Amino acid sequence: MIYLDSAATSLQKPKQVQQAVIGAMLTAASPGRGTHLPAMRAADVCYECRENLAKLLGDSRPERIVFTMNATHALNIAIGSIVSESTRVIISGYEHNSVVRPLHHKGVTPTIINTPLFDRDAFMARLNEEIDGCDVVITTYVSNAFGYVLPISDIAKLCHERGKRLIIDASQAAGVLDINAKELQADFIAMPGHKGLLGPQGTGVLICGSDATPLMYGGSGSQSAQLDMPEYLPDRLEAGTHNVSGIAGLNEGVKYLLQNGISEIEQHERKCLEAFHEAMSGFGNAKLFYSEERQAQSSVISIVPKGVTSELLAERLGAHDIAIRSGLHCAPLAHETVGTFGTGTARFSFSPFVSVQDVLAATAVVCEIISTSQK
Amino acid sequence: MGHSFIIMLRSLTYAQRASRLLERAGIYSSLTKAPQGATVKGCSYGVKVQDRYVDYALQVLRGSPLVIGKIFRLEPSGDFSEVDL
Repeated sequence: MIYLDSAATSLQKPKQVQQAVIGAMLTAASPGRGTHLPAMRAADVCYECRENLAKLLGDSRPERIVFTMNATHALNIAIGSIVSESTRVIISGYEHNSVVRPLHHKGVTPTIINTPLFDRDAFMARLNEEIDGCDVVITTYVSNAFGYVLPISDIAKLCHERGKRLIIDASQAAGVLDINAKELQADFIAMPGHKGLLGPQGTGVLICGSDATPLMYGGSGSQSAQLDMPEYLPDRLEAGTHNVSGIAGLNEGVKYLLQNGISEIEQHERKCLEAFHEAMSGFGNAKLFYSEERQAQSSVISIVPKGVTSELLAERLGAHDIAIRSGLHCAPLAHETVGTFGTGTARFSFSPFVSVQDVLAATAVVCEIISTSQK
Repeated sequence: MGHSFIIMLRSLTYAQRASRLLERAGIYSSLTKAPQGATVKGCSYGVKVQDRYVDYALQVLRGSPLVIGKIFRLEPSGDFSEVDL
């Protein structure tokens, strides 16, 4: 299979990931629930994973790395901690439903910075105009639908200068681009474990730069005699038994990234993106959303094929053992901003385990399917 | 076997961080759960170090950003008492 859907879930992972998952199932119990060897082994795995994540993401405090079920869970904690009905919120026009829906649920109507795709200067200019009227900025680092890399350092800098709080959805950036949490100093940075971090599904991470309000209450294995959740992190936000097997796998995914280097992986994925663009740009029957500005696009590219729907293209590619994603990608707002709400897009995303040859083989089939559909 | 000391930390994660710090300083420690009678809030964690290492361990931990809680002297019998070191 040629798997070009890592922006949804990275299917291909280092072998150590699955070995660690199975190993933890066989040997690790639950951290903080005992002092016997299996419990301490689980505690070791979780702590090592926090340490490695802290190293990868530029934060020196492992206790500020909170495990969640996924990025949506992490974002719900973040939003629940600093946004109420009366909070004035700015979001980018490229947000996923994991941001849009929690805000809607809270009765918040955010100001949307819906500037053109890949135009980072326009985004900053508009944010600069709007920021004084808000309390909190919530932005994705990278658009999941289009791979648009927002100018996150500039956004963070502006938020600090104006005394605004900041939540970053790093779902498409973690493991793909360099993240320096210490430099960004965001209140919260949320990410899943199962995409670029190469961990299993059901894992997520929240980096807490601020105090947080629990989303769930229950056993934490600590301060058990008191009714409130512990006041310190990570225990405050980690009620219930951890997904230790998942965390063990995530730890191996993160170790792989630390060993291989984010910048090397980024360069490889950029080659895949450029190969895709080069192969498709001469083919006139698809609209490509591609930026020549290297820093404005990650390893995700969307197209709108002509003469065939994105869904049918994805389905037919599937029959050729090529996996992509079609539709709105849970980000209708991004499609409204770009003008593709009516059609959706066919999205191709790359990973360390996809070669340029794979990409070229896939584009040949894409062109063939689209050409055939037009006859 | 002589007595040992339990240096309490805020949580299991902080105790793990302390244990790693001590390890880097060449001090062997083990993670331990505090005896129930030793804490008011219940289920607390610390690092256990042998008598001969306790002063150096405290020096290392006090020189770090970690906040140290109570310190208990633990007898081989399991009896414990809070100490001021």
